[in-house]
Amino acid sequence: MLRRIAGSLFWAARYLERAQWRARLVDVNYHLLLEVPPRDADPWEPLVRITAEQDLFAAKHSHAEEASVIDFFVFDRENRSSIRSCIETVRANLSPLRHLISSELWVAVNRLYLEVQGWSAQALAAAGVSNFFAELNRHFFTLEGIVVNTIARDLTYDVIELGAMLERPDNVSRLLDVKYHYLLPRLEDIGGPADLRQWAAVLRSASAFEAFRRCYGNAIRVNRVVSILVFDPEFPRSMRFCIERAAEALERISAWDASSAASAAACAELLAMLREGDADRALNSGLHEFLIDAERRCAQLADHVFDRYMALE
Amino acid sequence: MFRTMGVTFNVYGADEGSERIFPFDPIPRIIAVPVWAELEAGLIQRARALNAFVADIYAEAQIVRDGIIPRDLIVGSQQFRHPATGIQRPGGIYITVAGIDLVRGADGRFHVLEDNVRTPSGVSYVIENRRIMTRLMPELIRGLRVSSVENYPAYLLAALREIAPSGIDDPTVALLTPGPFNSAFFEHVFLSQQMGVELVEGRDLVCVDHKLYMKTVHGLRRIDVLYRRIDDDFLDPVVFRLDSMLGVAGLTAVLRAGNATLANAIGTGVADDKGVYAYTPAMIRYYLGESALLPIVETHLLRDPDVRQRVLLDLDRYVVKPTGASGGYGVVIGPHATDEELAQARRRIEAAPANFIAQPPFPLSVHPTLTGGSVDGKPAMAPRHVDLRPFVLLGAKPRVLAGGLTRVALREGSLIVNSLQGGGSKDTWVLEE
Repeated sequence: MLRRIAGSLFWAARYLERAQWRARLVDVNYHLLLEVPPRDADPWEPLVRITAEQDLFAAKHSHAEEASVIDFFVFDRENRSSIRSCIETVRANLSPLRHLISSELWVAVNRLYLEVQGWSAQALAAAGVSNFFAELNRHFFTLEGIVVNTIARDLTYDVIELGAMLERPDNVSRLLDVKYHYLLPRLEDIGGPADLRQWAAVLRSASAFEAFRRCYGNAIRVNRVVSILVFDPEFPRSMRFCIERAAEALERISAWDASSAASAAACAELLAMLREGDADRALNSGLHEFLIDAERRCAQLADHVFDRYMALE
Repeated sequence: MFRTMGVTFNVYGADEGSERIFPFDPIPRIIAVPVWAELEAGLIQRARALNAFVADIYAEAQIVRDGIIPRDLIVGSQQFRHPATGIQRPGGIYITVAGIDLVRGADGRFHVLEDNVRTPSGVSYVIENRRIMTRLMPELIRGLRVSSVENYPAYLLAALREIAPSGIDDPTVALLTPGPFNSAFFEHVFLSQQMGVELVEGRDLVCVDHKLYMKTVHGLRRIDVLYRRIDDDFLDPVVFRLDSMLGVAGLTAVLRAGNATLANAIGTGVADDKGVYAYTPAMIRYYLGESALLPIVETHLLRDPDVRQRVLLDLDRYVVKPTGASGGYGVVIGPHATDEELAQARRRIEAAPANFIAQPPFPLSVHPTLTGGSVDGKPAMAPRHVDLRPFVLLGAKPRVLAGGLTRVALREGSLIVNSLQGGGSKDTWVLEE
């Protein structure tokens, strides 16, 4: 496979995953706020901070509130990571590769793209935030299903898998961090009913609610949420699960390569951190710091992989 | 379906921007076997002579030394590429793919209108048209024993593999495209897919130690034959246009070292120059010792002062064409031109007479075509002008696609078959016996 094509697939997979999690991020924040009384801190501000896009945001909006954050995260073409931009990038990357992917995948991507072209704040308001994101989520699940069921398990699949599985942990981590930042001003609320409702919302947003229930029953505790979203070896949206899959894909991609040491080492380190760590220790030593470290390692690994197998220069 | 203007099909699949509806007329053009057999022989003869001409021009240029074709016509041609001189070609094949545009005259004979021996396109439409027709009328196509066109990609791949540098058992072929913004990108995708070869862009390629490679996830992979669909000028910024981002630096040196073969070769355009066209019957005689099986359209070279004087007197009776251009660019059709356009043409001819030829207007033949209207509730049919572009492949042996692309001017009276200007296409049926 040509490096250029691998790069296009890799980034298409990453942007598709990113779009999905941006939607989850906005959705969870919106629902967290529905039941919570207004407070001094600005509840939409952490969302902007968490995605490290505050400079671009500040250049366009004076104030982080529902309308401006939704506009920035969902519609804004100048924000490369807005849901609209992500989907447009996915389509642009896959368009010349239509002959390599399945026609089902192309048609589904194109359908989503055409829908995105009709998006506006008015359309979102008319549909309602819940419906809007629920519908969007259906698109994403459809796309994932099509990838799994129509792409042959060769290099094409491995590259898509690698892109998605290196992007996802970063987004899970940010989702957790939203809740973390959100709680910071009111430490005394920890363990209270509002706190538990919020953790439940985080779990739902990560499609982890039922998996959590089966594992831990009704009692929602922070360490258990962290455990299932970060360290769980079986839940498919945990950070560890993703990196395990990424490591397998990377192993297949680099099987021929005698000097794959840098990416293999970076991958092994990240994997060790997730295999050997546990929720209590991460919480004790600072969840935010733990997550930031994991995000950084994830990004480095993705850079290594891209430079080694996909970059043209 | 037949009530409207035939069938339209979507070449690119449903998406904005690059979507292209290619008008398609479902009434096929039929060529009987005896006619086709003659055409095929004429096409092969012509392709072989044009190939021999290119080989000669970039070597000893014997045809010039022998005074058959004037030297300044060659070196003055905008398609002559000096850097191609002396590059050896496996099997002596320079023109792997030729698209030769034919028109039928009032006498019923096919004439050559022009040769396309650089990067001729359109073959994907031939195959797509046939796929549509077999869906529309499967029994008829089977019953009439219509020659298949499905084998073209296999023919092309075989021809490309046959010109690989010697000593390579299993040559790697790749197709070089300018990218998704090129109007023929669909065809590039189609052919690469059908042949099972990599579709590469210039940035996928690199030349190391006079060898050509593509950059793959599994490291650099050697390319032995590059089927290019970009113009000479953009192939190699070291030798041609410095600002080209489409090619790969060092390609010409790779070719010169004999470590890869380019199809078609650099500089083949010298053979489809419209001035050179006038000499093609002489060329066929010179290289093959045969007389041309396919006649050409009477052509006057305006570089000759006597000819020029004669043509300029009756400019409104001629079609004037620039020699180096293709795609109808700069053509003035005398009988339809205004006085001002004629005066302008006259000035341009006088300023650079060698750049122009003149031909009498050639009456294109017509073929029944659906008009999109209806008569008594039935779809209306009317005569429309058509031409034919067959495709000839040269390799270890010549191969010709049965039929070719029939283009049709959909507007009444129009002679313009170009798809961008109201042209469409028809399936072309060569009936087996």
